[in-house]
Amino acid sequence: MSAPFPAGEQPWRRLSIRVVYLDLIRVAISLATGYLGIALGDDPVWPLIAGSCAGLFGALVDLKRWRTTRYRITPQRVEMRSGWLARKHRIVARDRIRSVDSSARVLPRLLGLRTVQVGSGESESSFKLDGLDRRHAVRLQQELMPGQAPASEAPEPVAGDPETVIARLRRDWVPLNVLTVWSVFAAASPLFGLHWLLRPVGVDLFGLGRGLLGWESRGPAWNVILVLLIAYPIGIGVTTVTFLIGYWNFELVRKGTPPDTALVTRRGLLTTQTVQRTDERLRGIAFEEPLVWRWLRLTETKVIATGLRQIGESATSGVLPRIRLGEARDLAAKILPDGSRPLETALHRHPRGALVRRLGWAVYWPALASGALLLFGLAGALPDWVWPLPLTLVPLTVPAAVVAYRSLGHGLAGAYLVVRRGVLRRRTVALQRRAVIGWTFEQSIFQRRGGRMTVGVATAAGGRYYTAPDMSVEQALAFASGATPELARRFIDPEGRPEQAQP
Amino acid sequence: MADISPPPPEPVDGLRLRPPRHRLDRRFIAWRTLQALCWAVGVLGTLGAVYGYAESTRPWLGPVLLVAGPIYAVNIAVMPTWRFLVHRWEATDDAVYALGGWLTRKWQIVPISRIQSIDTEVGLIQRWLGLATVTVTTASSDGKITIEGLDVRVAEATVDRLREVAAATEGDAT
Repeated sequence: MSAPFPAGEQPWRRLSIRVVYLDLIRVAISLATGYLGIALGDDPVWPLIAGSCAGLFGALVDLKRWRTTRYRITPQRVEMRSGWLARKHRIVARDRIRSVDSSARVLPRLLGLRTVQVGSGESESSFKLDGLDRRHAVRLQQELMPGQAPASEAPEPVAGDPETVIARLRRDWVPLNVLTVWSVFAAASPLFGLHWLLRPVGVDLFGLGRGLLGWESRGPAWNVILVLLIAYPIGIGVTTVTFLIGYWNFELVRKGTPPDTALVTRRGLLTTQTVQRTDERLRGIAFEEPLVWRWLRLTETKVIATGLRQIGESATSGVLPRIRLGEARDLAAKILPDGSRPLETALHRHPRGALVRRLGWAVYWPALASGALLLFGLAGALPDWVWPLPLTLVPLTVPAAVVAYRSLGHGLAGAYLVVRRGVLRRRTVALQRRAVIGWTFEQSIFQRRGGRMTVGVATAAGGRYYTAPDMSVEQALAFASGATPELARRFIDPEGRPEQAQP
Repeated sequence: MADISPPPPEPVDGLRLRPPRHRLDRRFIAWRTLQALCWAVGVLGTLGAVYGYAESTRPWLGPVLLVAGPIYAVNIAVMPTWRFLVHRWEATDDAVYALGGWLTRKWQIVPISRIQSIDTEVGLIQRWLGLATVTVTTASSDGKITIEGLDVRVAEATVDRLREVAAATEGDAT
């Protein structure tokens, strides 16, 4: 690092020296647990010793990582060199960078360290710089903003880009995100964790609980009710704490001067996440409404951008926690740079045949499963009582079919096309028309008889492929030619022209 | 839905999906028949052998063979010809357009400017018959178009032309 570098070339930087202190602390902690493991009882406590060895090894590997890691930011690209036995040199072009995310666990945070994750949407070209000090992490995030040249070695003043705040965490959002049917499970997993943690030390948590509650003195039904009564408040408490830790100081802002603007979310108490999504890559917005919350008129909001997967990388595509629909609509208009409200357009219903088809499926699939089981039953592979089981699902699948039909919809709104579908999770997707990179029309035998087709929109953004099932043929073709008139002319004819097929 | 005001009148102006211009090569039928035959022999042969030798599996494999047999028979006898009658394709200077499927039909269109890569593939049976498969990939994995059963020369000429046109268009195809 001390070697002189040619003028104009960016110097290689290295991780913070505090990583060394952190690793020394980790070594100390590992040695202490190891000692405890040997000295605590008559027999060595093996889990503690194993943990201590793993901790020691991890700290040493981490020290080596600190010695070998270098990174630099040039006007065109970000580079990182790392590795000891296997050297790695990774180069990412700066215009490929979609999100910069800075986080820290508790111990590194106490030492003022941050982990910066530079994401480009593809796992092969994303990388992580673990162990920058706070000042460098902030600077890195600023430097990687679009349109900014890398700063000189002297620390830059933090103020610079104008920011408009779109949303901040509000107190009344907390209950909306915390009260769920599934709260019970939030209590269960930490309890199991604690149980397994205490077992090596000889404490049987479940046995203790059973003794305290007087498990044997009641019938099983009362026991279930009692457990639920205790578990719900604990679960809600756990989810509240998790939500508050995750969304502490939540802020959604638009940053930068046009045209180089970006949507930035910051959140987190212990792990601060800062995700930046450049507006240039924004292609649309989506509301996701799971079944029960849809009835309560609550929604989650996601942005659709190239290089951000909508499934999986929820941290980067989700911009808002679960909030009321009306509020989400107002915020969505601010999230989209053009301020339009495509998600509120009235959508076309799909034809009746789509409902009939879904009701058919609701009966057909259980019947098919029953038929298969019946065949196996006749051949003697399965007992006779098994085959009617799938048919008992019909009372559930029929209402689901109606829900599925009612959530189908499509429409055009200005520069956007809108499709909506989904049973358990209804997605309303507004995609910019310029983001369409291909069309797919599918028609099964039954759809052909009913004059319907399923339209697929291929795009490079978000979920990559959005389908609108069971439109009528007229609706489908009008939709495609309304969304991309130029492209539609290549495959849609006004009726009346004779077919010109050549061999 | 309660949150939806009544939809605006439907735009119906008599539009029609135009079929793509070209048929596939006739050898497509022979190729798909051979392919289906290989699969049928492989799968049914294996299952049949297990059925014959291992008596304990018979209650499970019996029904499977009963259903799979007719499906493979239809696949060999009807599917290749039916597909040949349905499949069509065209590649112009603006877009690649293909129609495929047999029971379920599938029309696909990709504008040339959004193409990321173009591949030609020739399998073992295909080489023997002088056929090739052309795949056009975009930034959306589900938006890719596969045209199977083109004459090798036609496929090569098409791919060369598409590469030229695609190279001339600007942008990162997203």
